[in-house]
Amino acid sequence: MTLTVETYGTLAEANAARRGDSRYLAGGTLVMRDLNYAVPGLSRVLRVSNPPRAIRQQGERLSMDAGVTMADVIESREAAFLAPVARSVGGPAVRNMATVGGNLFAAHPYGDFTAALLALDGEVQFVDGRTQPMEAFLAERDRAPLVASITMRMPRTGEFRFRKVARVKPKGVSVMSIAAWLPGAPMRVSQVRIAFGAMGPTPLRARAAEQVLEGKVLDASGIERALSVATQGLAPVDDALASAWYRNEVAPVHLRRLLLDEEPEP
Amino acid sequence: MPVEFRKDLFANERDDTLKEIGQPRIRQDILGHVSGRSPYYDDHLFEGLLHMRCVRSPHHHARIRHIDAGAAERMPGVVRVVWPADVPHNINTLLSLINFGRDDEALLQPSRVTYIGEPVLAIIAKTEREAREAAAAVRVDWEPLPHVLDVEEALKPDAPTVNGEYPNNTFDYHDLYDHQKLRFGDVEKGFREADHIVEGEYRMSPIEQAPIETCGAIAAPETNDRYVCHTATQGLFFSLAVTAKLLDIASSRLHFIGGTVGGGFGGKVDSITEPMAVLGARLTGQPVKFMWDREEEMQVGAPRGAELWRIKDGVARDGRILARQFTGFFDSGAYTRLSSYAVVKGTGHLPGPYTIPNVASNVYCVFTNRTPATAMRGFGITGVDFAIECQMDKVAEAAGLDPIELRILNAYRDGDMKAHRREAKNCALIECCQVAADKARWPLSPQSRAASSMTEGGVGWRAEIPETVTDQVGRIGERRRQALPSEPGAGAAATGRVAAGMRRDDRSVELPPQVADMAKEQERTGYSGKVDLPDHAAPASVQPAPATPVQRPAAPLPTQPPPPPPPPAGTAPSLPPAAQQRADDPEAAEQARRRAASRFISGTRRRR
Repeated sequence: MTLTVETYGTLAEANAARRGDSRYLAGGTLVMRDLNYAVPGLSRVLRVSNPPRAIRQQGERLSMDAGVTMADVIESREAAFLAPVARSVGGPAVRNMATVGGNLFAAHPYGDFTAALLALDGEVQFVDGRTQPMEAFLAERDRAPLVASITMRMPRTGEFRFRKVARVKPKGVSVMSIAAWLPGAPMRVSQVRIAFGAMGPTPLRARAAEQVLEGKVLDASGIERALSVATQGLAPVDDALASAWYRNEVAPVHLRRLLLDEEPEP
Repeated sequence: MPVEFRKDLFANERDDTLKEIGQPRIRQDILGHVSGRSPYYDDHLFEGLLHMRCVRSPHHHARIRHIDAGAAERMPGVVRVVWPADVPHNINTLLSLINFGRDDEALLQPSRVTYIGEPVLAIIAKTEREAREAAAAVRVDWEPLPHVLDVEEALKPDAPTVNGEYPNNTFDYHDLYDHQKLRFGDVEKGFREADHIVEGEYRMSPIEQAPIETCGAIAAPETNDRYVCHTATQGLFFSLAVTAKLLDIASSRLHFIGGTVGGGFGGKVDSITEPMAVLGARLTGQPVKFMWDREEEMQVGAPRGAELWRIKDGVARDGRILARQFTGFFDSGAYTRLSSYAVVKGTGHLPGPYTIPNVASNVYCVFTNRTPATAMRGFGITGVDFAIECQMDKVAEAAGLDPIELRILNAYRDGDMKAHRREAKNCALIECCQVAADKARWPLSPQSRAASSMTEGGVGWRAEIPETVTDQVGRIGERRRQALPSEPGAGAAATGRVAAGMRRDDRSVELPPQVADMAKEQERTGYSGKVDLPDHAAPASVQPAPATPVQRPAAPLPTQPPPPPPPPAGTAPSLPPAAQQRADDPEAAEQARRRAASRFISGTRRRR
């Protein structure tokens, strides 16, 4: 089957050209693998010549175009709180290419950046102008139109924490990642949002843990109940990196380290 | 006391000042690597290069009912479909080049696949993408068969047969046993005299060598009816000889060019990509590349095989190990490759660098429906060393001794007799332990500090081959008819004793072989003197030490009395020869179609 590459002027045009046999190529870190391996049914690659890649502050929220790369995030002053997350993705070559929009569609065990967006009350804006909260988007992302941009809350200093657990450092794939937005930290926290990456088919929220943390101080006794319910609602699977059993066993350990803000392991 | 290093062995060969650690040193190949100029096989460009991809088994074990490649053949860009019948001599075993083991593996499997990823067909197309798409369009009608993935399950009488050439799921050692035996002294006596019995079980998983450059080769027709082959192989002439055999072509018509190996670690000796690429070039008359992608490298690239070891030690109160018994299993995967050799090599390493008066081991090379295993960094030794050293710590704990002192107490010393009946020389474990303890500021007793590899060795029992208990359990095929315990001596129907033998002083005297399989094969050893056959009543003759340990049974050479009489008829294994067993195999028809042995096993030797 011949492969065609179609270049469009705008995302909306590219979106209109999408069919079952096509994939939109942004940074290419996921699509090129499928092309190289000749994944069946993929014969058209859609791209946009100069996709927007701006990062803008809008009041309490930050907006990023889907074409923003991980390297862009690391360089951005406004997105400084996300720099450690972006830095955990791939190596320098991958970060130069990989986009925020592509990360939204990355299958397990990838998608650590999306876990952070989920914790930060992210919202997806599609090319047709519709918007959708991150959680609803992730539940049905296979049917989603092209994403134009993403917005998220900008946490105050010290309110956002992120950990990636990998066997190979610094470039390993996630055994799991944890992102937490902890309004009020390090004092009493309220309206906490905790998201796990690589603990299910998509990044998932630990709602039970979020609820029992309401009004708690982040110390050993304050987080005790949250740790005991940490894995409720998560759905890890066995893969080459870790078994589901192992992931469930160590998730509370890593959540404790994050909530107590212990130094990560070297 | 100053530590004395044993450098004399290589004194004339290298400047052994041992001052390299911590010094900046430039690797000889690093300039090429960092400047991107190191030439890899894939850097060679050819006009009209074709690409080859394999159709592979999705099953651990399945019969091929039918293959429909019609649609694939008609797809755009497809130049040629390569069938098993296109391989001129489609059967090989890697070590046939040194006459060890029987041919058991096809380049393209015609009838029955025995591991996930086993190739059954290849597509040659103008682009890699077209080759991939055509390979995906091939329809294979599989009949899945029961499979076995565990070494001990594979030894059970009702286990499915994995490798048709070895219907008992074990490699045949010395045409006699389903395992490699080692017997030295009497372990049961040692266990009876011991104050502690320490048992341990150790398992090692397969490890993929994971080179950055995956295995591959490019072959092209050359002038004068030759083929050039650029390859990533670790063993250029090994790959050349394997290609000559599989393609039934004179090695003088093969021009192999190696170069930079982009990571090997043992994973690039199996010589699969080279015959495939040359076959492609031969069938199409054009340059052909056969390169594994990353998933193939991980799935079908032969790993270090899994190992399972059980060790039982009898230990005296003072920490002296009186007896050590091994039961070992090498998971060879579906084919032999190099695991048969790893077993012999591992057996020669037992019981580790320690002088133990009673040692027995049974080590099995087992076929399972897993990816065939091969070489990786010290294979045959690394796994059992891990087991032995874990066991030493366990022994130290049981005996209440310091683990380093325990090692010094039991270490080989110069002149000691090793379990495989060779004298220990240039020993240095004691000195290594002393240095390691010093570096770690680990306190040692004055006795351990005063110990030396050069003293107290080779004295009395330490130098002698003790009276040795033997048994004939585990003959080829026996385990197939009845469940047998796997550990040494267990279930012995007939047990013999071999009198205490040769002192180290007369180790050069070799006694005439009592049974035919002990006779030296002149063809293998190159020995041209007199060969004593069993019916010779000639006195012992002085002969040079044999140079081929791989071929040599590690079983003791009996002296007096002669080996025990065969067990009574009921239990006597009057076994059908392996070839006869194979006749029942459904692959018999396929095997009958095989051509006679290749005329070109290598450039210089013909197969018998």
